[in-house]
Amino acid sequence: MRSIAIPLEGVVPPRTDESELIAELKAGSEEAFAYLLAVYRNPVYGLVYHMIGNENDAADILQNIFVKIIRGMRTFHAESSLKTWVFRIAVHEASNYRRSWFRRKRREVFSLDDDDREPVAVRIDLSSSVKTPYEELEQSERQELVKIALSGVEEPFRTVLLLREIEGFSYNEITAVLRVAEGTVKSRLVRGREILRQKVSSLLAENGKK
Amino acid sequence: MFETCLEIRRHFSDFLDNACGPAVRSSIRYHLSYCAACYGELERAHLVSSDLATLPRRGVPAEADLRLRVRVSQELHRNVLRRLWVRVENTLHALLLPASGGVAAALVLFMLMLRSLIVPANHSPDVPLPISTPPQVRMLAPLDFNPGNQPLVVLTEVGPDGNATGYHIISGAQTPEILKHLDRLIYFSIFLPATRFGKPAKGRMVLSLREITVRG
Repeated sequence: MRSIAIPLEGVVPPRTDESELIAELKAGSEEAFAYLLAVYRNPVYGLVYHMIGNENDAADILQNIFVKIIRGMRTFHAESSLKTWVFRIAVHEASNYRRSWFRRKRREVFSLDDDDREPVAVRIDLSSSVKTPYEELEQSERQELVKIALSGVEEPFRTVLLLREIEGFSYNEITAVLRVAEGTVKSRLVRGREILRQKVSSLLAENGKK
Repeated sequence: MFETCLEIRRHFSDFLDNACGPAVRSSIRYHLSYCAACYGELERAHLVSSDLATLPRRGVPAEADLRLRVRVSQELHRNVLRRLWVRVENTLHALLLPASGGVAAALVLFMLMLRSLIVPANHSPDVPLPISTPPQVRMLAPLDFNPGNQPLVVLTEVGPDGNATGYHIISGAQTPEILKHLDRLIYFSIFLPATRFGKPAKGRMVLSLREITVRG
């Protein structure tokens, strides 16, 4: 019996020609969309999760993003790269979602049971039960703080930080995704990094580690 | 180039991204060579950046991944005809294995049966048993014969022993010379007798004779 879910196993042959992939996507090739899913679902989910801060909502938004990609593929004229286009849709969807008051309220309700909102101390205790070298533990603790600090960075600085630091986008790519000038990207990055550094410092101070 | 630490720290972001020009870069390097506070600040900025970049990648949870793939598949098959085709495919896929097995089994069975169904070539000396067969010429006598311009049509009677017992000229010239040669020709020719229910019987056959020349 054929599965109703699009299969992803063994569908990630490296594709060198993006135009060929785009042509297949426009033709509605299931294999091409499986490839697209296999390549982009995790990075897009990571970005959306960091922008929204909730696992369930991020999963819902991820679905909407890929539905929009499928529906919008016919109107995609390859003026930007496929990666940029996919991430532009992702950022747009996540931003729209965040702006919605109703959904924000719902997210707050969900966040009561959200494991990701555990206190830092608890997380550190959990991770410290695993036998790891001291440096790894220290980095792991710092990363937890960075993650919390990141959730406190306001938009639009957070999205620029995510695209640059986590996804490794170049200034040009961020410019294309956000449709803003390169100078704006740079200034947001400067500001975002500064906010993040300050928040990490204050979290470290709170934990008596500074 | 830079007057204050505050001014230089605004360029740390570009410095970390390797996005500032050579002049700015060398100025920053020079400043860092003597300003421990800015050096420490840059180190902390670099540490936060690298911690952020090396955050564990968050993959789509398994359940959400399945829901996503189902949703994408549904979206791809929104078209009614395509959806119908998927249903047909699903139905056919369910039947594919049993049907293939059935066809393969039928082929094997057929091949096995074919060996017993093939009638072997008949090597037995059986006499054919149609109801009746006419007499046939087995060998015409090697004699010269010239019936003239017109062919000679002769109704020949052949006995059960394969010998001609008589003849009657239906058409053609009937000169004494021709009759003499015809007597010899028919007398020395050998016939296969007619059969009735597989048994030799008396029969008649029509011979059409033209000029026969025997060399040697």
